[in-house]
Amino acid sequence: MPFSFIDIEKEKNRAIAFLFLFIILVYFVTAYLLLIVAENTFYFQFFSEGERHTFLFPPFKHVAVAFVIAFLAAFLHWSISTSNLIDKLSLAVGALPIDPKDTYHQYFQNIIDEVSIAIGGRKIEPLIIHSSNMNAFALEDFAGRAVIGITEGLLSRLNRAQIEAVVGHEAGHIASGDCMNTTLTCALGEIYQESLSRVKVGLRNSRGRGSLFLFLIFIVLSLMHFLSTLLRCFISREKELRADAIGVRLTRDPLSLAEALKLITRNWRGEGAQGENLESIFIVNPRFNELDEQEGVMPDLFSTHPPVSKRINILLSMAHMDEKTLEENLRNFKRVSPVAKPEFISADTIMAKRWRIFKEGKWEGPFAPEELKNIAGLLPTQWVRLEGQEQVSPAYDQPDLKMLFIKTSEQADDFICPNCKVALQEYHYEGAPVLKCTYCAGAFVEEHKVSTILIREDYVPSQEIERLAKIIADSKEKIIYKAVDPKSVWVIDCPKCKHKMHRQFFVYSYPVEIDRCVSCSGIWFDKDELEVLQYIYQHKESFLYGGSSF
Amino acid sequence: MIVLLIFSAVAVIVVIWFFAAYNSLVNLKVRVENAWSQIDVQLKRRHDLIPNLVEAVKGYLAHEKDTLERVIKARTQAIDASGLQDKAKAENFLTQTLRSLFAVVERYPDLKANQNILKLQEELTSTENKIAFARQYYNDEVRLLNTQIQVVPSNIVANLSGFQKKEFFEIEDTSQKEPPKVKF
Repeated sequence: MPFSFIDIEKEKNRAIAFLFLFIILVYFVTAYLLLIVAENTFYFQFFSEGERHTFLFPPFKHVAVAFVIAFLAAFLHWSISTSNLIDKLSLAVGALPIDPKDTYHQYFQNIIDEVSIAIGGRKIEPLIIHSSNMNAFALEDFAGRAVIGITEGLLSRLNRAQIEAVVGHEAGHIASGDCMNTTLTCALGEIYQESLSRVKVGLRNSRGRGSLFLFLIFIVLSLMHFLSTLLRCFISREKELRADAIGVRLTRDPLSLAEALKLITRNWRGEGAQGENLESIFIVNPRFNELDEQEGVMPDLFSTHPPVSKRINILLSMAHMDEKTLEENLRNFKRVSPVAKPEFISADTIMAKRWRIFKEGKWEGPFAPEELKNIAGLLPTQWVRLEGQEQVSPAYDQPDLKMLFIKTSEQADDFICPNCKVALQEYHYEGAPVLKCTYCAGAFVEEHKVSTILIREDYVPSQEIERLAKIIADSKEKIIYKAVDPKSVWVIDCPKCKHKMHRQFFVYSYPVEIDRCVSCSGIWFDKDELEVLQYIYQHKESFLYGGSSF
Repeated sequence: MIVLLIFSAVAVIVVIWFFAAYNSLVNLKVRVENAWSQIDVQLKRRHDLIPNLVEAVKGYLAHEKDTLERVIKARTQAIDASGLQDKAKAENFLTQTLRSLFAVVERYPDLKANQNILKLQEELTSTENKIAFARQYYNDEVRLLNTQIQVVPSNIVANLSGFQKKEFFEIEDTSQKEPPKVKF
């Protein structure tokens, strides 16, 4: 580590003191200006009768009043901003806790655990932003609680070593202590951003005297917001270079970090996404900023990130590689997927299959699945094989035999297929748990999981899916403008909350017909609908603009 | 009188310095022990995962009995090993056998398409990485302690109060270090 633990703590305390003094200063300037403006414009006398004061030589009373106001305001601001620091900021960037059942998230949790061991066993919480952009962030509060969050886009497009390098970089921020300064600075600035956007909405909707009052508040807030942008001067852009260095020191893998940075900058980093104004917590600035790519005094003061090309060059020189080879490698870059592609088996083939089971040293059977149910002592770990095949596997590995065991779990009875009225069973699609009916192959997916699934690209769609997607693409006008019979809209009930589901298009740009629950917004996909929607989403450019080339 | 005062002042300073140096050595030693316990936890976790893996692949790999038996043997050896040197050796051997097992798994497409195996493989990879990171952290802490024991003023304290240099947890297998790939 570059500093000892005690140095880091000292540095942190100094940063806290600086920041507090700074916001007192901001409030003092604002309060003082307001006093002067109020006195001179509205002929409103505070203390002295008849006297006019020049701007530069104020009487002591003004300064004292302004200071008291500033101190109170700063104290209020500080206590509001710093309570639940992490929860507030992660909400602002749209980060949620991981889903422990999701394969990708488990794998992210593993990576976080590994890196936390590398920095000495400090606990770090993983968070996920459900967005297809690529970025990562770290937050830390006074109590030492630390989180690292990454976007779904990053999780589904980088390979393990690259994610590990990115997490190592973020852990570098936490280990070197600069993470807390950044978090605090962002939290202090965030309050203006939020109240400004609220006042803007209010201004649009109000008329008359109220709007004049709001306008005044708007001006004051804008001033405060401008002053708070100076807070950025506290955030040194060098911290990213330092975190890169610590990250490499932890993972010993400069090449993967360079690759990750290259891939992030080449993709959508999150411009326009939730929380883009909190750029300093992210590994790469979500907004493209010309200042970021320059060197000099101005960028050093106001930019939050050093030039990406500089960072990549430093990393490449550590890895003894030049940029051309990196480009070449990335062109041939192939990600190893953390999930295996399952095979969905339709209902009639399940019925036709007959199984042999390995019991007490010999193969018994063949049995049909419904007969297997009645055999005493069939365990999930027992070896089974299909009649007429050599391939042997444990029973729990066979999706259609799994049903036999799943009946005993509590969840199965709660969720019933709206079409076939049989229990839904949990299946993993692109690593995310979905509830699937084994007979009609329909699937129930909770709202936030849909976006997650659409982003992931590990399953190769079958030709049938491509064919269906092409049909939709060819006739999308016809589909969208088709007259809808109101009776055919409320067809099924939500398997989860039993409310009505509304039959509609997923969105008009991707006209796949789905059923959406009015209460929980969960979605029921009939057979193949989810796959078709995913295919269209992943080829959206050619779907929306390509016409026949889709 | 003045000489006595100066002498006692120097004596007090030396005593204070002695305490401070002793405490920092103790501090470092505790950190090394803590780092070691991290490695131990992860090694144990790997030992616990291996039977599951063997159980899961046994049916598929009927023709690869040797590989599986070597993994099981290496695991038993690693559990029985005591002492840092032996332990490091046994663990390295275990890592190698696991690698050859995964190389075998790669040859069976059915196995590669099996979510359970993939999950176990991910768990083992993660544990291997954790072991590597814990070892890295442990070696860093040992390096700090050993330097402190040898550098000039504090080596006196270390010698007087009997601090011993700690051993590094080394790896012999060079392929395991996996340096960044260099192309010329």
